[in-house]
Amino acid sequence: MAKGTTVRMWRRSTFVLFMLIAVGFGTIVLRLLNLQIFQGKALRQMALDQQLKDTVISAQRGTIYDRNMKPVAQSATVFTVVLEPAYIKTDEKKKLIASGLSEILQLEEDEIIKKASKKSYYVIVKRKIESDVKEKIVNFQKEKKIKGGIRLIEDYKRYYPYGRFASNVIGFTGFDNQGLSGIENFYDKDLMGEFGRIVTARNAVGTDMPFEYEQMIPAKSGHNLVLTIDESIQHSMEKYLEEGRINNRVKNGAVAILMDAEEGDILGLASGGFDLNSPFEIVDLQAKTEIESTKEEDRSKLKGDFLQKQWRNKAVSDTYMPGSTFKIITASMALEEGVVSENSSFNCTGSVIPFEGARRIHCHNRRGHGVQDFQGIISHSCNPGFISLGHALGAENFYKYYKLFGFTQKTGIDLPGEAKGVFFNKDGSMAPMDLTVASFGQNFTITPMQLVTAVGAAVTGKLVEPHVVKHITDENGNILKTKGKSIKRHVVSENTSKNICELLKNNVATGSGRNGSVPGYNIGGKTGTSEKVGNSGPGGKDYIASFCSFFPTDFPKYVLFIMYDTPKGDYYYGGLIAAPVAAKIMSEILPYLGINKRYTEEELEKLDTSTPSLIGLPIEKAKSELIQNQLKFSIKGDGETVVSQIPDAGSGIPKDGTVVIYTNKENSSKKIKVPNFVGLSALNANKLAFSFELNMRVSGVPTQSNEEVVASNQSISPGEFVDPGTVICVEFIQKDDID
Amino acid sequence: MKDKRVQKIKPIVHKNFFKNSNFKIKKRKKTFGESVRIFSTRSGIDLVFCTITLVLLAIGLVMLFSASFFNAYHYQKGDSYFFIRSQLMWAVLGIIVFFITSFFDYRKLKKIAIPTLILSFLLLILVLFMPIRNDVRRWIPLGPVSFQASEITKFAIVLSFAYLISKNFKRMSTFKYGVLPYSIILLFTAFLLYLEPHISCLVIVVLLSGGMLYIGGIKLRWFGVVLSAAILAVVFLLVSNKLSYANERVIGWLDPFNSTADTWQTRQGLYAIGSGGLFGVGLGKSRQKYLFIPEPHNDFIFSVVCEELGFIGALLIILLFVMLIWRGIVISMRARERFGALLGIGLTAQVGLQVILNIFVITNTIPNTGISLPFFSYGGTALVMLLAQMGIILSISRTSSIEK
Repeated sequence: MAKGTTVRMWRRSTFVLFMLIAVGFGTIVLRLLNLQIFQGKALRQMALDQQLKDTVISAQRGTIYDRNMKPVAQSATVFTVVLEPAYIKTDEKKKLIASGLSEILQLEEDEIIKKASKKSYYVIVKRKIESDVKEKIVNFQKEKKIKGGIRLIEDYKRYYPYGRFASNVIGFTGFDNQGLSGIENFYDKDLMGEFGRIVTARNAVGTDMPFEYEQMIPAKSGHNLVLTIDESIQHSMEKYLEEGRINNRVKNGAVAILMDAEEGDILGLASGGFDLNSPFEIVDLQAKTEIESTKEEDRSKLKGDFLQKQWRNKAVSDTYMPGSTFKIITASMALEEGVVSENSSFNCTGSVIPFEGARRIHCHNRRGHGVQDFQGIISHSCNPGFISLGHALGAENFYKYYKLFGFTQKTGIDLPGEAKGVFFNKDGSMAPMDLTVASFGQNFTITPMQLVTAVGAAVTGKLVEPHVVKHITDENGNILKTKGKSIKRHVVSENTSKNICELLKNNVATGSGRNGSVPGYNIGGKTGTSEKVGNSGPGGKDYIASFCSFFPTDFPKYVLFIMYDTPKGDYYYGGLIAAPVAAKIMSEILPYLGINKRYTEEELEKLDTSTPSLIGLPIEKAKSELIQNQLKFSIKGDGETVVSQIPDAGSGIPKDGTVVIYTNKENSSKKIKVPNFVGLSALNANKLAFSFELNMRVSGVPTQSNEEVVASNQSISPGEFVDPGTVICVEFIQKDDID
Repeated sequence: MKDKRVQKIKPIVHKNFFKNSNFKIKKRKKTFGESVRIFSTRSGIDLVFCTITLVLLAIGLVMLFSASFFNAYHYQKGDSYFFIRSQLMWAVLGIIVFFITSFFDYRKLKKIAIPTLILSFLLLILVLFMPIRNDVRRWIPLGPVSFQASEITKFAIVLSFAYLISKNFKRMSTFKYGVLPYSIILLFTAFLLYLEPHISCLVIVVLLSGGMLYIGGIKLRWFGVVLSAAILAVVFLLVSNKLSYANERVIGWLDPFNSTADTWQTRQGLYAIGSGGLFGVGLGKSRQKYLFIPEPHNDFIFSVVCEELGFIGALLIILLFVMLIWRGIVISMRARERFGALLGIGLTAQVGLQVILNIFVITNTIPNTGISLPFFSYGGTALVMLLAQMGIILSISRTSSIEK
C-alpha cells in the first residue's frame, strides 16, 4: 500500500521531534535550571521581601533595684492600639470603631475615622494604654462583634514606684523605652534586652497567610540592675536636703552624696528631683511661672532649658569651686610632703600679702586668728594659714597631688554626662597668685563627685572609682556581673590619713565644723563657702555653701557631702547651711549603717532619760521615784495621788528635766504660752525653759557655755500653748568663726 | 558555565539517535494491552500513551487545585473549590470523550476536514463581533460555557492539512499542490487571528502547519521564502508599532524587574520559579499563589508547580510531556496510512508546542503572551478538546503497528 509513511517522512518527523525536544524542551530545562538553581536565591529573596511581614515584639526592660532589692524602676505590660484599615472596608464599620474607640481612649472621633481611611495595614491610634483600657477595647470588640480592624500589640511601660526618689540618678526612659538619662541611659544596653520579631507571611493584599508560615523570635528581657543606692538612706538624704533648700531659699540646686570610700559604692545621691513618672513636667514653680509669662514662640525652648536643668545630675555634671572643703586636700598634700607638722605655727593677722607685689588677701575673720598650730588653721579654716601651706608646697607639688587625688580626670562613675573641672592651665602650671587662691579652693573648678572621691582618698589613703550599680543580674536574679571595688591608686600614706582624720574630727568636735556634729558619734569634716565668680546677682554676691564629712573617724568608711548652690536666705556659710543638714542626715543614717554610738562624758550628761510612770502613785512615792531618777518635779493641785503627768510615762526627758505632776483633773487645762528661744545662748535658753516650766531638749552643736553657740530653731513655735512640762527641742548652732 | 550546559544536552544528540535505535520494535508477550481490544475489532490502544495522558491529567488537576484554591477563596466569595470543581467535571467529561474518540475510526475525519476548516473560518470571523475580554476578542459564549475560537482553528488546520497533504502526497513538491492551497489557508487564518488579536495561536498555527508541510514533503526552499517573509513582517510590526500591546510586552520581556512596562505577572511568576529551588517548597505550600501571581490557575500555573515541586518536580513533569510527545509521534509514524501519520504528528506537535511556548512565557524566555498549559491550565472546553485530540491519537494507535 503506497499510503504508508515514506522514508523521507520518517526522517523529517524525526527531525521535527528532535527540534521539539532538543530546542523546545532543552531550552526549557536550561531556563528552569538557571532560574531555580542559579538565580534561585536572588529570586527567593525578592519573593520573601514582598511575602514577609515583620512585626517587632518589645522586650521587657530590666528592673532596677536598690541595694536591698527594693524595685525602684519597673516595666509593666501596656498595649498599643493599632488600626488595620485594610479590614475596615465599610463606612459603617469605620463609624462603629471610631465611636467606640473615641469613647474608650478619649480621642476625637474624626481623627480615628481619618486613620481608619488610610491605605495601610498599620496605623497607630494610641500607645501605652493600660490593661484595664485594653480590656474595655476587647469587650467592645466582642459586644459589637468586630472582626479584624483593631489590633492590640503588647508593649511595656516604665514605672517608678517611688516617683521623685533618686530621680537624677535613676533617670527615665522615652516613649520607645530607650533610656534618656541617668542609669536608664548609662545602662541602656543592659536594661533594654533584645527585640523579638514575628515574621508572618502575607498575601498580595496584605492579609496573613496560614499560620504555618509564622516564625517567631521571642524577645529577650533586659537585665536587672542592683544599685548601690540604699532606699532608706537616699530618702533621708533627699528629705533633709530639700528641707534645707527651702529654708535657705537656695536658687541653684543642691547636692548630697554619700559614698562608701572603701568600696566606691554610692549609697545615696540626691540632686534636685522630679517625678520620674512624668519627667516632662516642670517641678520648679518659679520656672513654671517664668515659662507662662514668656512669649508663645520662645516657650518650648525655655521649657527645654528648664527640663535639661531639672534632669541634670549636679553631682557629676556640674563643676564648682570647692572653697574651704578643699583645705582637706591641701592639708593632706602638706602632711604627705612633710611641709607641715602638728606643731607648726601660723600667725593670722586677718590678711596677708602672699608674695611680693601681690594683692592683699583677707581671712574671713578680718580680726585675724592670731597664732595657731596646724589644728588651729583647720579649725578656724584660716585662709592665710593655708596660703602659707600652699606656697610651702609649691606649684609643682600642688599639681602633682591635684592629679593624684583625681581632679584632672573624670571619676569614672557609671552615670552619663560626667564633667571634669577646669584647672588654671592645661599643662598644670600655676602663677603664684593661682597657687595662693588654689590652696583654699578658689579659682579652679571640680565636680562634687571628684571632691567626694578625693576626700575619701585623703581619709583612707586610696582613691576609688565610684559606682552606683552593684550587680547586673539576669531575669532570674543570677548575678551576671558585679561592680566590685576598684582602687585607682594609693594617694597618701596611712600616717597622713590618720593625722587628717584626727584633725578633721577635732574640727567637727570643737572647730568651725561643729554644726555638723552628731552626739555620740565621731565625725570628721570641713565646711566650705566659695564665692561664685562673675555671678553676682541683685541680692549681692553669690556663694556655694558646702560641707564634706566622713565617719567613723577611727576607721573612715563613709564620706558625706552636702552642697547648696546660691543660697539666698539669712545665711550663706557652709557651716550654717550645709553642716546642720549633714548632721540631721547623719543622725538618721548612722544607726542604720550600724555605727555604734560612743558618747563622751559631757554628751552622756545631756542624754535623755525615760520618764517613769507615776499615775496612780501617792504623791510621796512619786516624788521619791523622780528623785531616784535625778529628775525635778513640780506638783500641781492638792490631791493625794497622781492623776496625770507631763511628759507621759516612757517618753524621753532631758536629764535634770522637770516632770509636772497633776493631782487634780481640772488643773490639767492650764496651758503655757511657748516663749521664743531663738538667738539665746544655751545657758539663757535653759533658764527661760525652767521659768516657763517647760523641758528643753538640746540638739545641734554641743553646748558649751560658749557665747558663739546660739539657738537657731525650736520644735514648737513661739506663741503656741502647751501643757507645762512639755519637752521642746531647741536646735543650737555655732554662729561665729565659721566658714 | 555555558560549556557545562552544552555538555548536558549532548546525550540527546547522540549519533544513535538518528539511527532510530529508539524506535526499534522489540518482541514481547501480549499483555494487558490486548484486553482493551474487546471493545474493538481492531488492535488495542497504546497503553503507554493512554497512561501518560491520564497521569498528566491527574497531576494537572492536583496542581490546579493547589494553585487555585486561595485565589478562588479570595475572589469567589470563600469558595476554594470554585475552579477545581468545574475543572473536575470537565475532566470527567473529557475522559469519557477521550475513550469514546479512541473507538472512532479517525479516517472518517477526512470527510469533515474541509467543513471543519470552513467552520473555523466562520468562528474566527464570528469572534470578531464578540465582546472584548482582556483587550482581545477570543471567546465565543455557548450557553453556560464559552470557548476560544482558536481552539477549533488549531484543530481545523491540523486536520485539513493532514487531509490535504495525504491526498496530494505525490504532488507535494509542486507549487500548485504543495504550497498554494496551504498558503492561502494559512494567510487567511493568520489574518483573522491577527485581527483578534491572538498572536500566540498564530505562532502555533504557523509552526504547526510549517512542520506538517515539511513532513509532508514540501520543497525546503519554500521555508526560506516563508522565513524571510516572517522576518520582514516582524520587523514591520515592531517598527510600525502597530501591535502596541505586544510591543510593550517586548520591552517588559527584556527587563522584567526594572522596566516601566506592566510586568507584574511575569515578575511574580519568576519569583515563584526561583523560590522553588531544587526541591520546591512542598506541595500546596506556594506563597506566590496567594494573590501575588494573578490567576495562578491559568497560564502561569507552571510557575506554581515550579515553586511547590522545585526543579526536580518540574523536570519530571517536563519528562512526562516529552514522553507523551515522543510516544505520540512514534504512534503516528507507525500509523497504517499517511493521513493518520500526519494527523497524529500534527496533534502531538500542537500539544508539544503549547507546552514549550507556555513554559517559555513563564520563564520569560519569550515575551508574555496568553497561552495555556495543556492538562494544567484552567479551562473546561479546552481540556475536553485536548482529551478528544488525545483520543484521536489513541484511535490512530489502534491501527498503528507499534508495540503496545
